[in-house]
Amino acid sequence: MKIERSKEWWMARARREGDAAVGAGLLAFDPVPDERPTTITQTAAAEETRIAFGKFVNLMRRRRGLSMEKLAEVAELDASELLVIENEVHYVPEPRTIFKLAQTFEVSQRRLMQLAGLTAANDAGLRQEAVRFAARSEAMQKLTPEENSALEAFVAVLSEQDPKRAK
Amino acid sequence: MTVDVSKIYLLDVATGASVEAELRDAIEQAQLDDWQTKWRPALLTVLQELARRGVPIDQWPQSWHWDWTQKTTRVQGLLAFRGFSVVALGETQGLAQVDLTKTGREANQRGKPLVYVDYLEVAPWNRPELGAAPRLRGVGSALITAAIALSEDEGFKGRLGLHSLPQADDYYRKIGMTDLGQDVAYQNLRYFEMTSEQARAFFEQEGER
Repeated sequence: MKIERSKEWWMARARREGDAAVGAGLLAFDPVPDERPTTITQTAAAEETRIAFGKFVNLMRRRRGLSMEKLAEVAELDASELLVIENEVHYVPEPRTIFKLAQTFEVSQRRLMQLAGLTAANDAGLRQEAVRFAARSEAMQKLTPEENSALEAFVAVLSEQDPKRAK
Repeated sequence: MTVDVSKIYLLDVATGASVEAELRDAIEQAQLDDWQTKWRPALLTVLQELARRGVPIDQWPQSWHWDWTQKTTRVQGLLAFRGFSVVALGETQGLAQVDLTKTGREANQRGKPLVYVDYLEVAPWNRPELGAAPRLRGVGSALITAAIALSEDEGFKGRLGLHSLPQADDYYRKIGMTDLGQDVAYQNLRYFEMTSEQARAFFEQEGER
């Protein structure tokens, strides 16, 4: 089927279209991008770092041979809060708590905030380190040499003073 | 399969110049490849950007529960149907699929055969509703022109029917089609018909409005 029309004829129709959208039929609909995978990934990532945060507090405390009560006293925190921090992955602590813990453990407050889920951890590197740390450490009575070295390595990461990251 | 190619002209939005294009009376593998390798990534980028900016779904250009796999499968199946494509600048700019088995609903042409436009889609980079400046204008009009011409060819006197995407309602009204209201049987899209008189008017108007 051939359609013979002048150039002017076609141009007039193109102009008339203006900024109107043209589309028909269900097949022409745009698929809705599935947002769920990103949300799930983000939630999982947040949980991973939060788990690492609990383990970190637990190991740091034990390395210093402190009971929860003792750490609470040193850091001027509530012992019951320390208990939920170490054991409840969905508990998000107050900024003041993080501030005190960062001071006590001598690590970067900003990073600890990210780890605890108080600020968005848009730092893939930290997240990776946190996961590695959480996976390597086991909550036992006494720190094993492995746990100790895992802790050392993670402390080094957390101690970096808010470096100016590229981006 | 022999494909008839008509020479048509589109408007380059940036320069205002005319662009020579082909109106082909078929959808071929090359078009499906373009859809897959060019349209799909371009659209995905736009949709992800909308999602990133947090634009609520009901404010998106279109929304329907429809995923890429489903859509891709359906599009790849278009080879089996009668269709049209617009090709310009080496790329597919628009696609339409038609069905010749439907009949009219409008009072004056109820029961009479018409060309039903089952699918009409314009390349993402030509779609003004996606937020960026469109490249070519006239692609949708060319496909509608082809459907009307086919209707005349088939002895259907230019009669046309289609379910409009929500953002395209204005266009079909502008070209004089009759709005028969929302169709509950078809995701509440508005159903439009073109009568033979309206088709004649569409073809005969030479100048701009």
